[in-house]
Amino acid sequence: MMHKLDARGLKCPLPIVKAKKQIETLAAGDTLEVHATDAGSVKDFQGWVAVNKQASLRQQRTEKDESGREIYVHLLEKVA
Amino acid sequence: MQTNEIQVSEVLRWIDEGQPFLLLDVRNREEFEHWKLEGTRPVETVNVPYFEFVEDPQAAIAKVPRGQTEIAVLCAKGGSSAFVAEVLRDAGVQARNITGGMIAYGQYLAPVKVPLAPGDQGRFEIWQFNRRGKGCLSYLVRSGSEAVLVDPSRSLEVYQAFAGQLGARIVRVFDTHVHADHLSGAPRLAAETGVPYFVAAGDGFELKQPVTPMQDGQEIHLGGEGGVTITTRIISTPGHTPGSTSYLVGDRYLLSGDTLFVNGVGRPDLGGQVVAWGKALFHTLRLRVAVLPDQTVILPAHYAAQSEIDPQGVVSAFLGELRRTSPELAITNEDQFVEAMRAGVHEPPAIYQEIIRTNLGLVAVDAEKATEWELGKNECAASRKLRETEARAAIAA
Repeated sequence: MMHKLDARGLKCPLPIVKAKKQIETLAAGDTLEVHATDAGSVKDFQGWVAVNKQASLRQQRTEKDESGREIYVHLLEKVA
Repeated sequence: MQTNEIQVSEVLRWIDEGQPFLLLDVRNREEFEHWKLEGTRPVETVNVPYFEFVEDPQAAIAKVPRGQTEIAVLCAKGGSSAFVAEVLRDAGVQARNITGGMIAYGQYLAPVKVPLAPGDQGRFEIWQFNRRGKGCLSYLVRSGSEAVLVDPSRSLEVYQAFAGQLGARIVRVFDTHVHADHLSGAPRLAAETGVPYFVAAGDGFELKQPVTPMQDGQEIHLGGEGGVTITTRIISTPGHTPGSTSYLVGDRYLLSGDTLFVNGVGRPDLGGQVVAWGKALFHTLRLRVAVLPDQTVILPAHYAAQSEIDPQGVVSAFLGELRRTSPELAITNEDQFVEAMRAGVHEPPAIYQEIIRTNLGLVAVDAEKATEWELGKNECAASRKLRETEARAAIAA
């Protein structure tokens, strides 16, 4: 299953706090796509999956949302 | 009562005064390595990223040394550090959040009074505003009820409130050059209060800011009711940028911009013309700066290391002292100087072209973007490597 987490406009640490909570509810192989607006989230998600046993980072990319905001997309996979 | 928050100004005072505490930086490792909160003395610092506290609070808390009675927690904007400070307090560890994080550190301005020669005291005052997080220096020169502001950051309300407390109003604003590392507050001050603004961009640059033109050598009289008239001489000093201007206050205090620092000279390579601008800088230093008397006080627009802040909190040097210590001032041959500058070319400041374009008035930027652009320390001096090796080799040659 593919899941989404809209973390746009949220300040640290909330995107990671929410992603962790949601990852814990998923089944192995499920994905969670997190949309954040904080540029610092790129390195933070990389650092977080290094200490998290349940999630791996499949992809990170940037895109623009409908209002032209820069969005940082983090695609996580539940691994265990 | 102990609050859960602590301000950047207080943290810096603790560090400068040598008061022991633990600085817990919870940013990711890359951000921590790239730009640190520093004072004039070393402070015990540990980096445990906030996401480790999210993932496994007990393991993260165990990484925090417990030798100090005070812990101040730092992050980029103050959000994650507030979270971590709360996790620590819940675990019975006293911790306070540094309000606003590195953003607040990067914008904080510390006003310090520059000591004047006995004959100048009482006639006017020079206040050096030290933007500690970036190593940027701006100045407020006050005489009577009038003040001139030089190289202001965007935090205009700080200068305006300060001038107000001195019983003065800002009547003019200058930039020493079109800055490449931070955004100037001068255009907005001029637009909002109608005071004359001067900056020179130099040949080849389109300057769209509404400036009140001034000539090299022109004098400005400052000081209204109850004050004394002083003169600010404009000395055109190209090199770091083609339009760089220094302001000589009271015939003794040289607001030297990025032309001459306490520990180095301004890099002449940001325009991609290190030879042409390097030659200009050489002639500026030889013909415009070196001719001033030894007792001239150099007050620069930047510093590179905390060690340049003297025990009174001021960044300044007598020109006579720099004549003895500066490898750049000692080079008397133009080719050797240019070669030393060329050898010292290094990474430009982040996003410097966008910052220059904004300061020229060619583009507008919103406050959030501006804050993002200004993260990190200034990179305006010719490189340390140059100072330590190349320049000495050039002198010996």
